[in-house]
Amino acid sequence: MLKLSNLQFDFGNRDPLFSRVNLEFQAGEFALVCGPTGSGKSTFLRCLNGLSPHFTGGNLAGRIEIDSTDVTGWQPHQLADLVGFVNQQPEGAFVTDTVLEELVYGMEQLGVAETEMKSRLEKLAANLHLTELLDRELTELSGGQQQRVAIAAALSAGQRILVLDEPTSALDPKAAADIIALLHRLATEEGITVLLAEHRLERALPSVDSMVIVHGDGSVTKQLPTEAIREFRLVPPVVELSKRLGLTPPCLTAQDERLKTAVVPAFHASSIEQPKDFVGQAALQLDSISVRYGDSLAVDDVTLSVERGEVLALMGENGSGKTSLLWAIQGSGTRSGGTLTTPWGDTAPMTSEERLCVATLVPQKASDLLFLPTVSAELQDSDRFAKAPETTTASLFQRFAGRVDPSLHPRDLSAGQQLALVLAIQLAKGAGILLLDEPTRGLDYTAKRALAGIITELRDQGKAVIVATHDIEFAAQIATDVVVLESGRVKFAGTPAQVFSVNGLLASEVSQALQVDGLFSMEQLS
Amino acid sequence: MRRLSEFAKAKVHPGSWWALGLSISILAGQSTNLWFVSSLIGLCVGLILVFRSTAPWARSLPFYLLLASIFVLTRIVFRVIFNGDPNSSDVALSLPHFNLPLGLGQQLSLFGSISWSTLSAATLDGLRLAAIILAVAMSNTLSNPRRLLKSTPAALYEVASAISVAINLAPQLIDSLQRVRRAKGLRGRNSGSSALTSIIIPALEDTLDRSLQLAASMDARGFGRTNRLSMRRQWTNRLVSLGSAIGLAIGAYLLVTASSPALPVVVLTLSLAGLILVIRLTSKRNLKSRFNRQKFGSADLAIFAVCAMSFALVMLLSNQMVGF
Amino acid sequence: MKFMKVIGRAAIVMAAVASLLVFTWPLFISAASTDQAALAQGVFIALMPLMVVMVLVEFAAGDLSTKQLAVLGVLIALNAVIRTLGAGTAGIETAFFLIVIGAYVLGSGFGYILGAASLLVSALLVGGIGPWLPFQMMAAGLVGLGAGLLPKSKRAWLAVSTMIGYAVVASFAYGALMTMWNWPFLAGTGGALSYVAGAPIIENLGRFVQYELITGGLLWDLGRAVTTSVLIALSGKVLLATLSRVASRTGIQKI
Repeated sequence: MLKLSNLQFDFGNRDPLFSRVNLEFQAGEFALVCGPTGSGKSTFLRCLNGLSPHFTGGNLAGRIEIDSTDVTGWQPHQLADLVGFVNQQPEGAFVTDTVLEELVYGMEQLGVAETEMKSRLEKLAANLHLTELLDRELTELSGGQQQRVAIAAALSAGQRILVLDEPTSALDPKAAADIIALLHRLATEEGITVLLAEHRLERALPSVDSMVIVHGDGSVTKQLPTEAIREFRLVPPVVELSKRLGLTPPCLTAQDERLKTAVVPAFHASSIEQPKDFVGQAALQLDSISVRYGDSLAVDDVTLSVERGEVLALMGENGSGKTSLLWAIQGSGTRSGGTLTTPWGDTAPMTSEERLCVATLVPQKASDLLFLPTVSAELQDSDRFAKAPETTTASLFQRFAGRVDPSLHPRDLSAGQQLALVLAIQLAKGAGILLLDEPTRGLDYTAKRALAGIITELRDQGKAVIVATHDIEFAAQIATDVVVLESGRVKFAGTPAQVFSVNGLLASEVSQALQVDGLFSMEQLS
Repeated sequence: MRRLSEFAKAKVHPGSWWALGLSISILAGQSTNLWFVSSLIGLCVGLILVFRSTAPWARSLPFYLLLASIFVLTRIVFRVIFNGDPNSSDVALSLPHFNLPLGLGQQLSLFGSISWSTLSAATLDGLRLAAIILAVAMSNTLSNPRRLLKSTPAALYEVASAISVAINLAPQLIDSLQRVRRAKGLRGRNSGSSALTSIIIPALEDTLDRSLQLAASMDARGFGRTNRLSMRRQWTNRLVSLGSAIGLAIGAYLLVTASSPALPVVVLTLSLAGLILVIRLTSKRNLKSRFNRQKFGSADLAIFAVCAMSFALVMLLSNQMVGF
Repeated sequence: MKFMKVIGRAAIVMAAVASLLVFTWPLFISAASTDQAALAQGVFIALMPLMVVMVLVEFAAGDLSTKQLAVLGVLIALNAVIRTLGAGTAGIETAFFLIVIGAYVLGSGFGYILGAASLLVSALLVGGIGPWLPFQMMAAGLVGLGAGLLPKSKRAWLAVSTMIGYAVVASFAYGALMTMWNWPFLAGTGGALSYVAGAPIIENLGRFVQYELITGGLLWDLGRAVTTSVLIALSGKVLLATLSRVASRTGIQKI
């Protein structure tokens, strides 16, 4: 079906991303593609439909054959009827407004006759359970439905190969499982060759036929899943958890019954604690804060306090008022009522420069704050603006992100590096309160772990950190305190153990897998 | 009202509204009757009020009305200021007369007595322009630009796609700009010369990324796939297009220098035919098909009939030399 | 293949010449064709959209890749948005600086499409469609086309000053073309400021300049020249860097 011979890809100046790749995929094969961040697995997948090098730049060498036709160097539109492609965020890749238009778009581009379009559309919609949704606007759909539409659209022109780049990363566990099940069905029943990149390996491992690992050192290998998992460095949390519990062979899914019956060693009460020196040192006190936009009340009578060295996780659905509250604390957002006290005074009357010494906010899209052409320009500009000694920001950045080529364009950094850069810039003036709005968006495992490390370090320095997030696993890993908001009001405030445990409001995956009261994060076991 | 706008949206092809608008503007441009032109203006405004939807492009009637009145007023004011006619008999306005020396022996004569005929001619001229503006306003207000973009000839498909990408991106871009402007305060910057770049650059980068992602997704689904034209076709295409361009230049020049319009009109018509041929030939590259293409229906036929009838009327009346 | 491209370019040049004639006909209309003036106005209004379409087709058909289309879409949108925000402020014309910079980086074909389409989209968004629109599109397209032909420089300050110099000239030229178009409409015939059929070009040009002076058209042009230059001076360097980076990263070619 699909054959790669001696494939090599490089971006010109640097070492090849991968080279001497020889792989073959059969019709109906379901292959999981994985590899550490930056290993080039996205580029590898994009080579298969021509997006690399045609849209990403770079050089491709070697040979790609589909059904014995040499398609090396073809443009994406030349490959469009052979390979279907699905992206991480469906909403960014939708071309039209409604489900129906989206499904016929590919067929229209390829000149499929109208009667043929009708019959294919009916079959496809029935097969992917989209018949009821055909007239709906794409933006009204849930994430899982959107991804199903994206898959249907990628297959509408009769493509026999389906390539998906982390399609479930923005989905909740249930919707993600549905998508994986759907792909499994497409492979086994329709004989479609599916190549799926997925960083939550445990979701896909049970269903796939083979596992392709892009190692990042230039080699790409394909093995059976059970063999591959043994030597793969980036193990899924459930595997790591079963290793810590001494279960061999490791469990591949969180539903494995052995987890529930495993003997659990003694564990800490929480995964992270406020350092003793700072106990009782108030950093922030909110008294019945409210934020009103026109007629709607975004934050309603919120009272809470944070001490130095505490990490407060602000949880809640979208629209529950997390972002509004953060902006109100920072001082530049609307505040309609209530009082705010910090050791340095109220933030609202301060100038934006003064606020940087007190409370600093990193917004959802951290890259909004970057506007200079190189990393070093940003770092120097930050020092100059903060009137801090030279390399203050640079050394913070290096602590957060390790060595990064300072001549790079900030947009070319990974999401995690961008976040670290913005954090370094925002902390250059030494603010005591750090506010993070959905910082884990777009971050993979490693980057999340690095971010957790940074937050722990800031806690040790006695900063008060507030993290607005709906990433339960991440919150369970870093929070000393939790506040759950619902329609602008505090629904619950308490310790992580109360919130994330089996019977808590937001049970974590570890809680659900182990069903042990008070144990909600792997970090507690160390 | 609501029902009628729904009907217009569902049943009338955007091209029909433009055909109607074009015929109204031609009628208005040829007419010398004040009442006829005024009734055309009334017709356009009436159509807009009856059929308009609530979409953003349908809310611009006040703008067009303002623009039309500016045209009428300027036209009259210009005549009053610059077209004083001291020898006229039917003086409507008697204003003091000025002579403004402009140097180089030239002088400009301002104000003076204004005759009724000057005033009514100016009003008619102004109203004609107003009618043309409102006819275009009618077409623009009643037809969804996105639907119209979908019916552009295939030769312009790339440009039309770029424009529809732009129309889709504009609101997102405004969002980005606002978000970045807010975020800028977080870095402690509020003013200064870097303000422009520190807002525009991140918003632009963000939108560029999104747009390229969209383009990648379009390409991956087959956008950009075309038939290859044969070498002979390509040559014909290029030569006809060069010929038409030369014809256009010559025709335009002759039209304003020759004593009779016959030759230039023939040259221009030939070039026009050439242009249409080029557009059709280029459209042959297209291999796209359309699902549920909007077809011309009975409502459209009715509109075309109205257009045709009004033209027949104009021909008839102008033959009989009746001022219409 | 190369020769065919030359013919295509020649067609574009001829179309540009034809469109300039259509803009400036009051300057050299002969006494003999006075009666045809109204006809000419009508015919030209009908022809201009087709000329714009013809040049767009010559530039776009087959040469415009999806990537270019994406960048084009963004710049058109940005232009329309900035123009909408700045609209209504007298003499402030914000559409031009992006057209000039975009064309400088991505070529004259790109510049023509960007210029013409920017005006179309902002007219679609704020309602400004009328018989003048094709003329504005053609004039702005020519501004972009010219900017694409400017000599390139590796040094950012040199590139920025080249663009500023061009922007000043282009702002006045654009203004003159558009005023020339509305001249016969607003001033009519037979007035002190109207064109005189059959008069020498110099005399009509003199009358046109008077018309420009008295109607304040030159002030608008000056406003356009100043805003465009200031915007290029402020943002030219960074925008050049951003666009060149995107162009080289994704391998976008000039057209």
